[in-house]
Amino acid sequence: MLRITGGKVYDPANGIDGEVRDLAIDDHGRFVESVDGGRTIDATGMIVFPGGVDVHTHVAGGAINFARAMTPEDHRRTQAFIRTKSRRSGLGGMAPTTFATGYLYAGMGWTTVNEAAVPVLSARHTHEELADIPIVDKTSLTLMANNEIMLDQLEQGEYERAKQVVAWYLWAAKSYGVKAVNPGGVAAWKWGKDAKQLASPIEGYKKLTPGGIVTQLARICDDLGLPHPIHLHCNNLGAPGNIATTLDTLKHLEGSRAHIAHSQYHAYGGDGWDTMCSETAQLADYFNTHPNITTDAGAVLFGDTVTITADGPWQHLLYKLTGRKWGNLDVENETGCGIVPYTYRPSNLVNAVQWASGLELLLLIQNPWQVFLSTDHPNGGCFWRYPEIIKLLMSADFRKECTRKLPDKIKGKITLPEVDREYTLYEIAVSMSAGPAKALGLSHKGSLGIGCDADVVIYNQDDDPARMFGHPRYVIKGGEVVIEEGDILETPQGREFLVKPARDPDIDAFMRPRFEECYTMSFENYPVEMERIEHAEIRECISHAP
Amino acid sequence: MGGKVTCTLGEVKQRADFIVYWGGNPAECHPRHFTKYTIMQKSKFLPRGRKDRTMVLVDIRETKSAKAADIFLQVKPGKDFELITILRAMIKDQHVTDEQIAVTGLSREVLDDLVGRMKGAKFGCMFFGMGLSMTRGKHMNSAALLTLAAEMNAFTKFVAMPMRGHGNVTGADVIMRWQTGFPFGITFNRGYPRYNPGEFSTVDVLVRGDCDAAFIIGADPGATMPQPAIEHLKRIPTIVLDPHVTHTSRLSRVHITTAPQGIAAPGTAYRMDEIPLPLKPPLKSPYPTDEQVVRRINEAIAAKPFWMPEGSQPQMLTAQV
Ligand SMILES: [Zn+2]
Repeated sequence: MLRITGGKVYDPANGIDGEVRDLAIDDHGRFVESVDGGRTIDATGMIVFPGGVDVHTHVAGGAINFARAMTPEDHRRTQAFIRTKSRRSGLGGMAPTTFATGYLYAGMGWTTVNEAAVPVLSARHTHEELADIPIVDKTSLTLMANNEIMLDQLEQGEYERAKQVVAWYLWAAKSYGVKAVNPGGVAAWKWGKDAKQLASPIEGYKKLTPGGIVTQLARICDDLGLPHPIHLHCNNLGAPGNIATTLDTLKHLEGSRAHIAHSQYHAYGGDGWDTMCSETAQLADYFNTHPNITTDAGAVLFGDTVTITADGPWQHLLYKLTGRKWGNLDVENETGCGIVPYTYRPSNLVNAVQWASGLELLLLIQNPWQVFLSTDHPNGGCFWRYPEIIKLLMSADFRKECTRKLPDKIKGKITLPEVDREYTLYEIAVSMSAGPAKALGLSHKGSLGIGCDADVVIYNQDDDPARMFGHPRYVIKGGEVVIEEGDILETPQGREFLVKPARDPDIDAFMRPRFEECYTMSFENYPVEMERIEHAEIRECISHAP
Repeated sequence: MGGKVTCTLGEVKQRADFIVYWGGNPAECHPRHFTKYTIMQKSKFLPRGRKDRTMVLVDIRETKSAKAADIFLQVKPGKDFELITILRAMIKDQHVTDEQIAVTGLSREVLDDLVGRMKGAKFGCMFFGMGLSMTRGKHMNSAALLTLAAEMNAFTKFVAMPMRGHGNVTGADVIMRWQTGFPFGITFNRGYPRYNPGEFSTVDVLVRGDCDAAFIIGADPGATMPQPAIEHLKRIPTIVLDPHVTHTSRLSRVHITTAPQGIAAPGTAYRMDEIPLPLKPPLKSPYPTDEQVVRRINEAIAAKPFWMPEGSQPQMLTAQV
């Protein structure tokens, strides 16, 4: 039992904007009206937020583990966690180790994370890593938009079958929802090709287009009643002029729910690297007139990182552009994966446009319930740098100071200098917690309401937002004080949320021969066993069909 | 340069119309590789199976695998790196002299033909074995071959994959990476993971006599390591967990018999392409599993005083020096 008294509470899910309120937490780790006894934290003069929720990150599984293998030079220089009684050892940096990932997230007040890209074939591995990330609760999304068994059904016009195939895979992966990466493009990459536009042909298919995949997969997510809609990494990521592709994608999604991942990488004008500019105003306009879709920023911060994505063809291009290390792992029947270390430099015009674009989207999309804090960790920057972004959002002066360091040629390519908006604490609470929790369909997260999970972060009020958000005074996870003044006190095991969508009884029989034709493991061994998921909690599916 | 361009074995089974085995003898060392994953498989894209695929073997001698190959290239011993470097130049139409080619023991005609076939393939895959990675040049050879595969993607789809050894070496590698950031050669002697193969690798630590105890699971260093390492294992308390009595058990202070993995103990094994496979044991064993033993040892250690003095809390290192 725990009481938190006297703090200024920011709880957007319940419309509370900086009012002094008391919170009470019971022995089950949930908010209740009141408790008798237990510890009391006097939060007078402090700021109280719901625990952060990361809607899009890459923290566990084959891809990030590949990135760890490729960046020993970063492990050697980065922050190190020394083993103590309460925590295990580990390394931070560009691709933190699992234990360190939990400590770093919790250390800045984030208590739920969504691992956004899991191939089913290696989902067992992903869950083992997720189990080694302490403190935070987790969800994971299954890569579906290039799954050839599903694409074959769409090619043949068998929508219902395709839906069943998706349901079968989600349960096999013990996953929470659907991720779509470069629909059709990654499948084409299996032949060294790409599919950049919504009407592009897809190597290996006659009729199917990326547009067809986008529209139908979004509908499948709604028809299956998944708590989180299609989570879409659009085609043509990173390319100058890709704003047209992104707007076209959004049109293909009309009538469905959707979450657009890391939209910063999809909002460029120009027709080459020299002319590349920000077109975030156009994209923000679309969001401002379509309140039912959400996005996360995929903001870029200057410095070293490692890029990892299922978008194999894009990573091949990035390798050719940078001449740096290139990791690629194509996963049979399902997806791809590429790794390239990268350094974002303010002196590089393309990087400067990217830096500005991420912030512009966060500032130009008016409703914070539609655009969430993310760096697409580790792609645009590491998650433990979120407090720097919060400072950039809350201080127009600080933004101006940073913009002055960009090359002169940036003039006319970005709109950031003309944007005066400053986030309020309430809006930050929406963008880092209440908003992403709602988009994920995690109704018990991102809220300090009665019955919700008691994940709370308490800050000392500070004029410097980066310092304030980087160093919470207390972090409470499920009612337990896990961090106090920077010390890790407890490292409880978090839960994993997953879904069990309805499936036709004959889907196993349908899948088996197709599976055996293209996979190299046995059909029986493929689905992840439920008992392998630590602290699993199945979330309900409710049909969103129109 | 650097990195790895690869795929899971199912991609090879489905798509690879051009397969190279370099410095390996799959016919004898990985006997199911041909039939399960590579040349013998029929697929949607390669319906005629073996007829739709070309196999090249590169090795210093004609092994049994040569019989299965369409093309056998006998490279001079220790000249793999040179051959790979020449191929990297030739695919980019860079000039290579006859003398440079002669060093490899192969002719320009043969290499021209090879490059033509590589570029003409729809999906090429190069498997490399210890004949490449453990001979003169070692990891430089592997890196060169991986780079060749990466560079081939400018022309067509190409991947490369090491032929990993037996046991669950890959699994250990994968888990060490997610817990510590490094695959092997790790020390915790400062309380956090550091990596330096050649310094912190087991064999180096033992030869120098740096450790004062050894705990060995599923390996038999007593049979394979150099004598000074074995001598040190004899000097210190060595504990072995193994289903069988091994050379190492004989020189150890304690041998604990455990249930064999996959036969009587469940778990996960990682395949050479890092795909996790569940182990579903068909038999029961009277012996505990490795995991059970390690957990009990951990509990016993946890009951002892902590390694740092009570009340002291190490600072987190914000950067290493
Ligand atoms: Zn991502």
